[in-house]
Amino acid sequence: MSDTVQKPLPEMSQVAKPFWEAAREGRFILQKCAACGKHVFFPRIRCPHCSSDQLDWVDASGRGTVYSYTVVVNNAPSAFINDMPYVVAIIQLDEGVRLLSNIVDCDPAEIRCEMPVEVIFEKLDEQFSLPKFKPLT
Amino acid sequence: MSDLRGNIAIAGIGEVPTGRYPDRDCIESAVQSAYLALEDAGLDKDEIDFVIPCGTVYQSAYNSDLICSRIIGEMGLKNVTSNAQVFSGGASSATMLKVAGSLVYSGIAKHVLCVHSDKLGTGLSGQAGIDLFAYAGIHREWEVPFGQHYSSIAGLVMNRYMYETGTTEEQIAAVQVSNRKWAELNPNAMFRKPLTVEEVMASKMLSTPLHAKMSNMLADGGASFIVTDASRARELTSTPVYFLGEGARVTHFSLSQEADITRFGYADAARDAFERAGLSPKDIDVAEIYDSYPIFQIIALEELGFVERGAGGAYYLDGKTWPGGELPVTTNGGMSSQGHTGGGGGVALLVEAARQLMGKAGERQVADARFAVVTATGGTYVDAQVEILGTEIP
Repeated sequence: MSDTVQKPLPEMSQVAKPFWEAAREGRFILQKCAACGKHVFFPRIRCPHCSSDQLDWVDASGRGTVYSYTVVVNNAPSAFINDMPYVVAIIQLDEGVRLLSNIVDCDPAEIRCEMPVEVIFEKLDEQFSLPKFKPLT
Repeated sequence: MSDLRGNIAIAGIGEVPTGRYPDRDCIESAVQSAYLALEDAGLDKDEIDFVIPCGTVYQSAYNSDLICSRIIGEMGLKNVTSNAQVFSGGASSATMLKVAGSLVYSGIAKHVLCVHSDKLGTGLSGQAGIDLFAYAGIHREWEVPFGQHYSSIAGLVMNRYMYETGTTEEQIAAVQVSNRKWAELNPNAMFRKPLTVEEVMASKMLSTPLHAKMSNMLADGGASFIVTDASRARELTSTPVYFLGEGARVTHFSLSQEADITRFGYADAARDAFERAGLSPKDIDVAEIYDSYPIFQIIALEELGFVERGAGGAYYLDGKTWPGGELPVTTNGGMSSQGHTGGGGGVALLVEAARQLMGKAGERQVADARFAVVTATGGTYVDAQVEILGTEIP
């Protein structure tokens, strides 16, 4: 049965350790470049805009809008078969960066592009809490 | 203008049927298609001096064999100086052609064999195929843990594109009908029975709004082409296919980081390619547009300049891309109907473009085809590759 398949944990990169530590405490943080002032996601070793290595971790709003979404109802990867239906979405954060996540705590049929959402954290294990999103109330 | 323009040619092509062939080894698909390409070019096997094997994804051990010169050993090639894998996922057709062409133009190689085969149809179970592609090019820290996979990628792109353009699911389904019309005429295609928009819409939902029959089908297959310089190609064959221009952009690694998932880099890539070829979209007789999912075939057709933004779906639905239509598109049936052989979906399209220009496309031959455009993209649609080929140098 598919319920024996382990959920894939994030393959953590060294540079992203602060993100996952903050997530464990329920805080959503992003890298911000001290040189060009832009927010950066996913976490990088050097700024993808100006190549600076002065990337600081800053508190982020955890709010954004749905850039796009899809409801997975069939043929999911093994580890996600028991989750169907689940929503995969690209979130446009207020800080100007995008990330992939799931939208939870709502009827998937009500999701629309540009819908406002906010972050919540879902604990996977002692090390990882995943940033997921729910409709902004 | 690129120095390769008109100086490089495809002298021969070969392909084995795509589909489910459990008794045909992966190496057999490679070797048989390579020999078909040699025969087509009128070339002896020992005139090949450089081999470029495309990556195979069904089994990493087999791919290690390819990296370590298995093709040379299996074919007994006596005069090969180098074996070098070129692999960019679905974009490999374009990158193999550019690398092979550059090697020939520089004088490092004379006759380059580009060869692909895979066994994704019968070398893996269906669920193993889904799971393999849930990791292929998908970020293991930021996307895999959220259940991202290729059906959800297609669903994400469709929803945003439909939101921005008003295109309907039926119009997207029509791409599959167009591809099937061509595959009905292609003896190497996996699916050849007629298909309707209604059948596509009635197939099970995978990842909204992507239906099962909007998806490609993993398959076994193999295709090869031989690249040489233009004057040598003219000595070898009466049907050399000239490389006229290319343009390309790599725009992301993870889909969520793509600036515009309704466009990608095709407009810039196409502008470069047409400028380098000295041609415009209205000069093109056949457009081999990479699919894998129909939404990408619509986006590329629009961004290349063949139809206006948002008009692509209606263009397919109106039958303009069918056999006998005003612009023949994806004339082998694409990965939705010919079958998805990993890196080979693009190779099959490149071979089909050459086949049409050589006048060897049988029942689906586009009359008087002089200029063809062929696109490709790899991974999570990380790049936009555009190549222009012709029977003459304009």
